[in-house]
Amino acid sequence: MFDLTAFVIALLVTAGIGTALGLVLAWGGRRFHVETDPRIQQVEDALPGINCGACGYAGCAAYAEAIVSEGAPMSLCAPGGADTAHAVARVMGAEVEAAEPKLSVTCCQGGHVDMRFDYHGVQDCRAAHVAGQAGGRKACTYGCLGFGTCARACPFGAITMSPERIPVVDWDKCTGCGRCVEVCPRGLNRVDPESYYVFVLCQSHDKGAVVNKLCDRGCIACRRCEKACPFDAIHVIDNLAVIDYTKCTACGKCVEACPKNTIVSFRKQRRARKKAREQAAQAREGAA
Amino acid sequence: METALVYFQIMFLAVFVQNFVLSKFLGLCPFVGVSKRRSSAFGMGMAVIFVMTLASLITMLIYRGIFLHPRLAQYQLDQYLKIVCFIVVIAALVQFVEMAMHKLAPPLYKSLGIYLPLITTNCAILGVTELNVIRFTGESETLGGAVAKSAVNGIFAGVGFTLALVIMAGIRERLDSAPIPEALRGVPIAFVAAACMALAFFGFAGMV
Amino acid sequence: MALRSFAGGTHPPEIKEATRGRPIRDLAPPDQLVVPMAQHIGRPATCAVKPGDTVARGQVIGEPAGFVSAAVHAPVSGKVKRVVQCNTPLGPACEAVLLENDGADIWAEGCNEPADPDGLSAQEVRERVQAAGIVGLGGATFPTHVKLTPPEGKAIDTVILNGCECEPYLTGDHRLMLESPHTVVQGLKLVLRAVGCTRGIVAVEANKPDAFQAMRKACAQRAEDGLDLAAQLLAVKYPQGAEKQLILALTGRETPSGGLPLDVGVVVQNVGTAHAVYEACAHARPLTERVVTVAGPGVGAPANLRARIGTPVRALLEACDWEESATRELVLGGPMMGVAHFDPDLPVNKGLSGILAFTDPTVFDHRHCIRCGRCVDGCPQRLVPSELSILVEAGRFEDARDADLLDCIECGVCTYVCPSRRPIVQWMKLAKDELARRRAREEAANRSGD
Repeated sequence: MFDLTAFVIALLVTAGIGTALGLVLAWGGRRFHVETDPRIQQVEDALPGINCGACGYAGCAAYAEAIVSEGAPMSLCAPGGADTAHAVARVMGAEVEAAEPKLSVTCCQGGHVDMRFDYHGVQDCRAAHVAGQAGGRKACTYGCLGFGTCARACPFGAITMSPERIPVVDWDKCTGCGRCVEVCPRGLNRVDPESYYVFVLCQSHDKGAVVNKLCDRGCIACRRCEKACPFDAIHVIDNLAVIDYTKCTACGKCVEACPKNTIVSFRKQRRARKKAREQAAQAREGAA
Repeated sequence: METALVYFQIMFLAVFVQNFVLSKFLGLCPFVGVSKRRSSAFGMGMAVIFVMTLASLITMLIYRGIFLHPRLAQYQLDQYLKIVCFIVVIAALVQFVEMAMHKLAPPLYKSLGIYLPLITTNCAILGVTELNVIRFTGESETLGGAVAKSAVNGIFAGVGFTLALVIMAGIRERLDSAPIPEALRGVPIAFVAAACMALAFFGFAGMV
Repeated sequence: MALRSFAGGTHPPEIKEATRGRPIRDLAPPDQLVVPMAQHIGRPATCAVKPGDTVARGQVIGEPAGFVSAAVHAPVSGKVKRVVQCNTPLGPACEAVLLENDGADIWAEGCNEPADPDGLSAQEVRERVQAAGIVGLGGATFPTHVKLTPPEGKAIDTVILNGCECEPYLTGDHRLMLESPHTVVQGLKLVLRAVGCTRGIVAVEANKPDAFQAMRKACAQRAEDGLDLAAQLLAVKYPQGAEKQLILALTGRETPSGGLPLDVGVVVQNVGTAHAVYEACAHARPLTERVVTVAGPGVGAPANLRARIGTPVRALLEACDWEESATRELVLGGPMMGVAHFDPDLPVNKGLSGILAFTDPTVFDHRHCIRCGRCVDGCPQRLVPSELSILVEAGRFEDARDADLLDCIECGVCTYVCPSRRPIVQWMKLAKDELARRRAREEAANRSGD
């Protein structure tokens, strides 16, 4: 039998409890009101969420807040690349110039260097660097130690160690986050824009004669590159050739001139990458 | 003295012998989800204690005061309105805690993330309120006594929950750097650790 | 009655029988010496001579660079041949002066003259010590004059001399205490005067009863009104000779985390340093030589040699019948905290207490931490080395710092007792290095950001 009274009582009790609580919540809502810009959450969702810090902020949440509250540039996310920059721009209702991708290069070719002692210790470049009086076991005290600390530190698995125990960077995976630069105790890794093609793959400041004896690919400070450069972009400073990228046009004359093949040009590979990326972007816009 | 012993029993049962997470296996979602860092585990625990205490208080008041009121007893509201009303109360409390935390402790609010509103659906909270109803609504219980005991049960159920959560967080922080086989990394080994904890808490069985 | 001690520690075999009974032998300086500018904590000295200069023994050839630095003196008389780069045991290569020994051993003007140490004021003692380039000869090489100048507000009430020499193989300090206890006690009195306190204790481990008796007698004979000099015997345990452990055993005071002995009112010096202080104040002799124990299975005739600073390590080894081809490992210092090195032409520096040649060093492959707790039992600083090693291995340097990594004294007890053969001290060094690098990067970023 349908009992109307019971039904109404039940309804009233539930409604009463609900209303009472609702009033408490309404009061609470006013008392604990927090102003938030909903865009911050939207921007944060558009970011990759890796919290690598390459943008210079303490994680994706901090960068999202900086973009919305402080007007930080929208294209600082290296791992996210152009896609992320565009997504963020869409949330913010603005246009963005996609930043050029940055890539990592290791400035050492590890050419046949003698060992000064047997090293039996923690298989980490930082530990090996400290052992043997901050010189490590290789006779070249500036060169790559080869224990793979950078390979392990890379959050994207872009670095592997070659059979000669030198790091090899897979530029398809590299996002230019800079972790490898941080961990190398000898500062051999560098992250530069994709449009830099020519690199001096050596960091030794030892005198040329010493380097010549130690390593078959090291910079001997012969200055042939300096003389060959038509743009005054490469100089030998403190026994090492250094390229000034504001002047370098990547003509490759220094690469030809170098007798030890220390200077290398990545022109072909990097231009192919850029072309592939531009074609993909065009295809995307064509489809959209 | 009698009452003191009764309250001690409630406290001990709630924290150790019948720990909500490790003995009753309620509230496992935040247990696995928020136990990665001790700081967020502790914060979650505090939120749960707050919600459990107030929920126990308010629901017992509603149950004894409204549902079992002599005037309304004939409608047997306690039979079918209990769950609905309890959930409404719990949901409102959690919403309140969320708003307060967002204003007063934003970093904690951020670190708890989705798990804060999930306290609403946390079976442990509903479990506490149900348990109170079962244990403290005998013939001899006064309204005051029932409410007090429910509140104490609520507080210490929350304490037990926090205890399990914080211990778990401590273990998981250590497990981070331990040589765990690839297949077991992350959640699987956390579950194994939780099982060991539950076994350990078994030792309290029968004490009270 | 149980001898005083500290919690933790371990008992490596002493292996001191070969050299503890042999008197210290003077090693004639070779024809060429290489004197490094960086032999101490703090900024390296700046070279004060140029090729062609004639120098006399005790002449300043390296000026200190600031207060926390030390002067370097010529260990022989002769001519400066060149300024070169030389290897150092722990750090990068440093500047050094290559001296040609003229064999005459002439002291410089004002040096090697008797002076009255009792007439010196506290400030004069400090100045003499600074001018003599004295640094902690126990191996830490901290400039002594800085230790003898406690900052405002820090009152010192006790001076402890470390005669424990807790490392295996090393017996240089033992022989020094036995052969010239009076210079050590007089050095102690000078140190007391410099820091302005009256209580001095010479700590000797119980494995050197003869040295203990000698020091006790010397303290009694050199007793002075108003001074409380005593020799104290301590239980044999490594690393009893470490500063903070000495303070704990002798005074019961615990140096606070991140703190220094002067925070608990104590100054600790090695007995060799005290002897050098006396030499500087009573004979105007700057630091030009030190006692080095040469031992190990790779030398046929182990001995304690008094060698000039700048003598190549090779010369000391050869004076002790070195089996060069059989030696697989050369350790500078003691076996627990010493550094393995590859260059036998490295010069003797102010901090070199021992040279050990090993023919058959065991190489270990390390495994995972089994959490046995032996390292926790052994750590004299009451840290948890197992946890620290796991954190550093996983790259969690900030977490390691929060677990008091910076209180580690790198004594090596944890590595010695670990059944999984984990190179814990190496990880500690790696982590400290990395944290220092990160701090430097942060400071540079802050500076450029401001």
